[in-house]
Amino acid sequence: MEKPSPDKFWTWFNPVGRETGGWAFILNRVTALGLTFYLYLHLVILSQLATGPQAYDQFVALMRNPISISAEVLVVAAGIMHGLNGIRIVLTTFGFGVTRQKQLFYGLMALALVIILFFTVRMFTA
Amino acid sequence: MTQTSVSAKVSGEAYGAPAPKSGENTWLWLLKIVTGPLLVIFLAVHFIVNHYIGETGLLTYKDVVAYYQNPLIPIMEIGFLASVVTHSLLGLRGIILDLKPSRNFLKILDWVFLIAGILIVVYGTWLALTIASRGA
Repeated sequence: MEKPSPDKFWTWFNPVGRETGGWAFILNRVTALGLTFYLYLHLVILSQLATGPQAYDQFVALMRNPISISAEVLVVAAGIMHGLNGIRIVLTTFGFGVTRQKQLFYGLMALALVIILFFTVRMFTA
Repeated sequence: MTQTSVSAKVSGEAYGAPAPKSGENTWLWLLKIVTGPLLVIFLAVHFIVNHYIGETGLLTYKDVVAYYQNPLIPIMEIGFLASVVTHSLLGLRGIILDLKPSRNFLKILDWVFLIAGILIVVYGTWLALTIASRGA
């Protein structure tokens, strides 16, 4: 596989021939881009609060539909996976579990799955 | 570099402990790492208070204004915003570094990110203070 370069950046996301670390890298990068997009969207949308009660409450009501909630579930899932995978990165940065990264990754992602399921159920039934 | 070592690098297994890449300042890289766990905590608090305060959580404009009357809240939210913006801009810069940008491009990018980051935090601070002042 080639090193990342400006004309071959899609190879970052090529799953062929990857090991666990490569999957962790793809997952971290995809969720990072999604979360960055959501963060700035969120900040723009919150400006509705400055407009006043009507604008904000109307917007909140508008977002209570299955499509918006599904999109929010994606954001939550991305946040949980990025956060938990990030814990592995922090731990290994400071020298903990460097030789156990695979187990750490699988363990944290299993935990992520449980938390995501909890959120999904809560968000659709609340 | 031989083909095998390149592919070992891309697979991620050969990296060992994470480290700054070339073109990444060590302190800024460390700041990105340190803001990570901070964000996990901020986000957990953000979720719990937004959804479990009162009976329904913060669902209406009125709820949000009332919540912002405690002076600790705007301070916490501004701290959260500053950390998340720092983390996201440093993260984006790291992704762009993998695209092997020219020195000039990187110089311009650094200024754009710095100014954008400051403006976003100023905007968020203004918004938080505006909401807090609505209840008075």
